[in-house]
Amino acid sequence: MPNIKLRSSDGETFEVDVEIAKCSVTIKTMLEDLGMDEEEEEVVPLPNVNSAILKKVIQWSTYHKDDPPPPEDDENKEKRTDDISSWDADFLKVDQGTLFELILAANYLDIKGLLDVTCKTVANMIKGKAPEEIRKTFNIKNDFTASEEEQVRKENEWCEEK
Amino acid sequence: MMEEMFTELPVPLLSTAAIIRHHTRYQPYQRLHQPQHFHTPVQELHALQQPDHGTTHISCLYPEILAIIFSYLEVRDKGRVAQVCTAWRDAAYNKSVWRGVEAKLHLRRANPSLFASLVKRGIKRVQVLSLRKSLRDVIQGIPNLESLNLRGCYNVGDVGISHAFVADSPTLTELDLSLCKQVTDTSLTRIAQHLKNLEVLELGGCSNVTNSGLMLIAWGLKKLKRLNLRSCWHVGDQGIQHLASGNPSLEHLGLQDCQKLSDEALKHATGLTSLISINLSFCVSITDSGLKHLAKMTNLRELNLRSCDNISDTGMAFLAEGGSRISSLDVSFCDKIGDQALVHISQGLFNLRNLLMSACQLSDEGLAKIANSLHDLETLNIGQCSRVTDKGLTTIAESLLRLKCIDLYGCTRITTVGLERIMKLPQLSVLNLGLWHVR
Repeated sequence: MPNIKLRSSDGETFEVDVEIAKCSVTIKTMLEDLGMDEEEEEVVPLPNVNSAILKKVIQWSTYHKDDPPPPEDDENKEKRTDDISSWDADFLKVDQGTLFELILAANYLDIKGLLDVTCKTVANMIKGKAPEEIRKTFNIKNDFTASEEEQVRKENEWCEEK
Repeated sequence: MMEEMFTELPVPLLSTAAIIRHHTRYQPYQRLHQPQHFHTPVQELHALQQPDHGTTHISCLYPEILAIIFSYLEVRDKGRVAQVCTAWRDAAYNKSVWRGVEAKLHLRRANPSLFASLVKRGIKRVQVLSLRKSLRDVIQGIPNLESLNLRGCYNVGDVGISHAFVADSPTLTELDLSLCKQVTDTSLTRIAQHLKNLEVLELGGCSNVTNSGLMLIAWGLKKLKRLNLRSCWHVGDQGIQHLASGNPSLEHLGLQDCQKLSDEALKHATGLTSLISINLSFCVSITDSGLKHLAKMTNLRELNLRSCDNISDTGMAFLAEGGSRISSLDVSFCDKIGDQALVHISQGLFNLRNLLMSACQLSDEGLAKIANSLHDLETLNIGQCSRVTDKGLTTIAESLLRLKCIDLYGCTRITTVGLERIMKLPQLSVLNLGLWHVR
């Protein structure tokens, strides 16, 4: 398998199997559209991903390289968050900052499987919490005015119905 | 000032433009893991030069990403994230977050911004849990409504319905009026006139509906696929004739407890050529001869005859000999049905996947008949068949290898020996021995 070089925002270069790099639709498109020849010693710059995160993304992509393509989102299907594999759950035992950076990287690199599983992980951190608990969990400031807060509360009161 | 601004953001990840954009957009956030002590600008600059992981705050996630996260939440939690801060509210009101959600509403006190906020979220399905205001407010407040569920709103009557539907509502495809007991044929006039695209109409328990109401449905609701008339006691054979002449698209017809219906109704039902399922449970006037008509319906797959007291083994013979292609049959509590019925079933109803015969007069001999022929059977309910023994269970365990569900509640003569055999069925996922059996 030919390799490809990826350069992180902080200048570190990673040599990766092309097929693994192509888990990223962004990289795949770059290679195809911009005519980057796989044979040449090209380096793909990834100015939005730092080395620590890129290392994790490569680790994830390597483990999942043989996965079938993720299914298209189905409007009628109930979205689940309890179907995270144990490998992914272990992989995502990281601090919040790293988790959010992984989400941004998965979004930028367009790796749907990684974006799905990281977003599910954040959803699981939110589940069952009251608004104030959510603010505490993520260190978010309540910036509603009193009247805005009252309005948004009224607009969402019905969501508490079983 | 500028330095302070920058350090609140994950510098390595964002371009300058994005930093500014996100800073202005996400002012409410504080920096994550920020120590409580006072920061000097120098320390801030240091942090800028040596970004460490774990400092990226959730405010760095774009609204589109927040929307993806929120889409994974159940309705209660979706409503709660909207109340966290303004940025989260705006992200939470994205239509993608609420796709397919049915809003369950108590409409009592005035709540002026509610409907507008539902429309903004793209919510098109509403269940009204209780109603003290006009139904018209809902119809006018949510113009693109696709599904309206008024199940059990006892105070909805003809006046409310007539006021609500004063113009065509082309988007509305599902209407549930179950247990709205004041509703009469007058309401159906409006519904047939203005809800031309209705595909699902639930009228279970609307016992004032008569044959005339069904004539209106046949006249106006040409796209109807599912109609439930449970316990509409005034509906008779002629009503079914109306449906057969006017509703060729009907696929599911619920006639449970419509006790006026006779075999004549089933003769008319053969005109419903798209019909896939029919529920005739508790239709005590239906007899074996009526099933001759149903046997001819080539698209019919599901037949429910639960507690039809006048159905016997002979009816099963008519179904089997008539070439019925049903895959689900429920004759539970038909106590004139016994082993002979299984002989007939095994000689003709080869497509059966689900066979529900609780409290029928079955024994091991009967089970041996179906075991030899119904190899595709996935569900078998023989609860309260007190003559069945371990011998019968052994036959089942050896032959019906695709069985997924079996109900044996109240089979008093079986023992653990028989149950152990059943447990070895390779596909089995449901074994019911208790009283409350959820099908």
